Amino acid sequence: MPSSPLPLLLDFDHQYHRDQRQSADFLHRRDRRLALDYQRRHGSLPGQAAWLGEIGAASGPEQSKHADSAAGLRGWRRLRLLFMALGAVLGVLTMLGLLYYDGGRRINVTLIVAMALLQLLLALLTSAQAMVGARPWRGLFRDGVPRWWPLPEPAPMLRLLQPHLAARIAHGGGLAFGLCALLTLLTQVLIKDLAFGWSTTLQASAAGYHELMRALAWPWREWLPGAVPSLELVERSRYFRLGQGAPAEPALLGGWWPFLAMLWAVYAVIPRLLLLAFGSWQLRRRALALLRDHPGHAALLERFNTAYVESDRPADHEPLPASRSPGIDGGPALPVPGTLIRWAGAGAGQPGLARHLIQGDEPLVLNAGGAASLEQDAETLAEAAQCNRPLVIVTRGWEPPTGELQDFLTDARQRCAAGTPLILVPLAADGDPAPARDDTLAQWQRFALRQKDPRLSVAGFSVAEADQ
Amino acid sequence: MSQTPRFAVVGHPNKGKSSSVATLAQNDDIAIALEPGTTRDSRHYPLSVDGRPLYELIDTPGFQRPRRVLAWLEQHSQSASDRPDTVRAFVTQHRDDPRFHDECELLTPILDGAGIIYVVDGSVPYSSEHEAEMNILRWTGRPSLALINRIGEQDHGERWRAALGQYFQIVRHFDAVHAPFDTHLGLLRSFGQLAPEWEAPLDEAINHLAEQRQRRQQQAMRLIATTLAAMLTRVQSATLPVGGNRDELEHGLRQRWREWQRQREQGLRRDIEGLYLHHHLQRQESDLAWEPGADLFSETTRRAWGVSRTYLATAGFGAGALGGAGVDALTAGHTLGAGALVGGLLGAAGSLYYAGKLDRLKLGPLSSGGQRAHFGPVRDPQFGYVVLGRALEHWYRVSHRNHAGRDPLTLGDADSHWLEQLSRSQRQTLQKALQNPPRDDGDSKRRRALEQAVSECGDAFLQWRTQTSP
Repeated sequence: MPSSPLPLLLDFDHQYHRDQRQSADFLHRRDRRLALDYQRRHGSLPGQAAWLGEIGAASGPEQSKHADSAAGLRGWRRLRLLFMALGAVLGVLTMLGLLYYDGGRRINVTLIVAMALLQLLLALLTSAQAMVGARPWRGLFRDGVPRWWPLPEPAPMLRLLQPHLAARIAHGGGLAFGLCALLTLLTQVLIKDLAFGWSTTLQASAAGYHELMRALAWPWREWLPGAVPSLELVERSRYFRLGQGAPAEPALLGGWWPFLAMLWAVYAVIPRLLLLAFGSWQLRRRALALLRDHPGHAALLERFNTAYVESDRPADHEPLPASRSPGIDGGPALPVPGTLIRWAGAGAGQPGLARHLIQGDEPLVLNAGGAASLEQDAETLAEAAQCNRPLVIVTRGWEPPTGELQDFLTDARQRCAAGTPLILVPLAADGDPAPARDDTLAQWQRFALRQKDPRLSVAGFSVAEADQ
Repeated sequence: MSQTPRFAVVGHPNKGKSSSVATLAQNDDIAIALEPGTTRDSRHYPLSVDGRPLYELIDTPGFQRPRRVLAWLEQHSQSASDRPDTVRAFVTQHRDDPRFHDECELLTPILDGAGIIYVVDGSVPYSSEHEAEMNILRWTGRPSLALINRIGEQDHGERWRAALGQYFQIVRHFDAVHAPFDTHLGLLRSFGQLAPEWEAPLDEAINHLAEQRQRRQQQAMRLIATTLAAMLTRVQSATLPVGGNRDELEHGLRQRWREWQRQREQGLRRDIEGLYLHHHLQRQESDLAWEPGADLFSETTRRAWGVSRTYLATAGFGAGALGGAGVDALTAGHTLGAGALVGGLLGAAGSLYYAGKLDRLKLGPLSSGGQRAHFGPVRDPQFGYVVLGRALEHWYRVSHRNHAGRDPLTLGDADSHWLEQLSRSQRQTLQKALQNPPRDDGDSKRRRALEQAVSECGDAFLQWRTQTSP
């Protein structure tokens, strides 16, 4: 995993956006476990780089091999190389142009000075623009990369660093320009006899021009006086286009080159170098600030530092049983000529219930289940079996059927004559005239189905309907 | 030997055992998946902190044949001293008997050292039919607590309490569906009182759960702030070709912009529900009913969650004044407060001017392919309040919903406005944060300001709902 801030920022941001698709619970579990494990091994919590390393390692070598930052930065690196190559070529061409000498007229020192100062101005403007975050060239970019530059997947964070990245590229190109131009100057000095001079339409005196040159040479004039033009050189190298003939001492005019080389180095090359270093530092600082203030950073630290509380996961991982199987429909019409059994006190608060369920003036009503003892259940069944009539068993529909009812039905089947209908009537809540709800009824129907007794059925019943 | 406290939740079928476990374990799988009374096997739900279990809840099947079991026990016991052994003997003998499968399942963890949590329905009258179950549990000799879980409307809690008090060490009321979070913690504290060695782990668990809840609120507020920023700064773009129909393009962009906003809001809902482990609310999305027509852009929603023009002007003035005061500070007070005044007036005027102007089409410079058209970001200051109000309401409902709940999530309304809970300076800070949302991930200053404002809103909303909820 990268330790340099820029690639680290891009990788962190990429992982952050990938994690947005994960649940908060999962992220907490993963990162808390990772942090504790790392702390056990290293004695401290992991930083962002170590965290990314651990995440990558957990996903296997393929994951860690393909750093996400590489794709995002590749385009910028290529662009930087292109700018440097362009700068180098332009530097050579520009200096050759400035030093063009056909033997007829001298090379104007003022032009070279102006070009060096222009380089300084451009370098300062580039850095200032990056510092304030201005992007006058932003129309050339899309999602952080140049529009014309082929990139598979632009990194969103690069957009925030565009001013600094662009400044670094510009300084790289400018440095290559300045260096190559300087080398060209020195080469030309070496292989040609260059005649420098200065000329102006203004009413400027040689002394004044000399003072200007001395002022420009202040960074080196104390320790390198040979690279400062003398007043004599300035006076003798002045020329007028309408002046006549060649200069008296041609060798003297070449004496400008140490000054020009130093001027170019100090105003065109060294500032670029320093500002490139400053730009790189600023980029690094900005990347560090973005890393520190990244919305994922605080959340990550919180996940590291807070205990992961897990309560919703069953210890075994078998799936819970499927919800509901379909019930069966239908049921016998009530009332029927039979015996009413109130199971576990169902319908005890409804004295008129029996006449709705059982035909006849004085239906037999018995109790079983609930608070009754097993012996009382047996007595109830014995009494009911004597009648040899259908058994209508009312139950509390809102409660699921229990094993005791199942036992009771089994006993009833054994004691009653073969083929005696057993009818379960689940009631709604006590005193509620409405029929049991469909889903409530369905669980009773499924219960009846499980008994595999063709003469056992479930009937829906509503006191309200019966009263009409 | 230090053993993790375990609690077997037992009782008659369909009295809320699984619901109680679902709420305490924060697991809506339990409540959703099972048909009432169909739990056939015990399921263990440990609460662990960093993988270290602190306690365990065991959801068990209900008693199926308690009278028969009790009859067997009475038949095979000589005295009170052999009762636990007799219960163990019953389980040993009937382990493979399908008739007593459920009783063996529920008694096994108790015989292995679990505490007893006996759940009854306090909305139905007490009847002596439960005494067989209670007697069996008493025979095990384990620490026990009874929970009166009122499922229906009626309240027979006092009669139950009198009866249960004779069988159980502690009796508590607990509505698994509606009990507030503090009651969950209180109940867990009661579990810890069942045995001295259980008190410390339960107290530790309670502390962690309380911290977790606090943290979830902070996370929820961050999620809301992030979504709010994204919705406030959303720009939908397309190219208007030379000679293209501007109105048609604007209509299309507006539709896409609104759809994006709706999707983003839905995404926030899912995130909040996931944060609180409500994984199954999503399936009931159609039931997650704002009233018909009350979507993000409707007039109903605007009335419910927006703010008045007076409020906008006041808060806008305050927010503008905050910015203008910076100018006064820069001039060391030489502007005599004119910066704050002008800033305030501009803020108020801007808020009023843009109120109701939700969005508009902006066209870029003409190029060879046509003009780049942009829809958004939203200018209407009401929009932020509407999104925020709806998000807070949803968060409140989800965070106060127990995992046993099966009813659809309903989002309510109230007579007063939640913003009344905010102080004047908080309102101004909120207005400023809504007017200046973070533009990107790197805009940390604005992001923090918005997060802070939303966090204060969360507290205010909580206070407001606590006052207005029945």
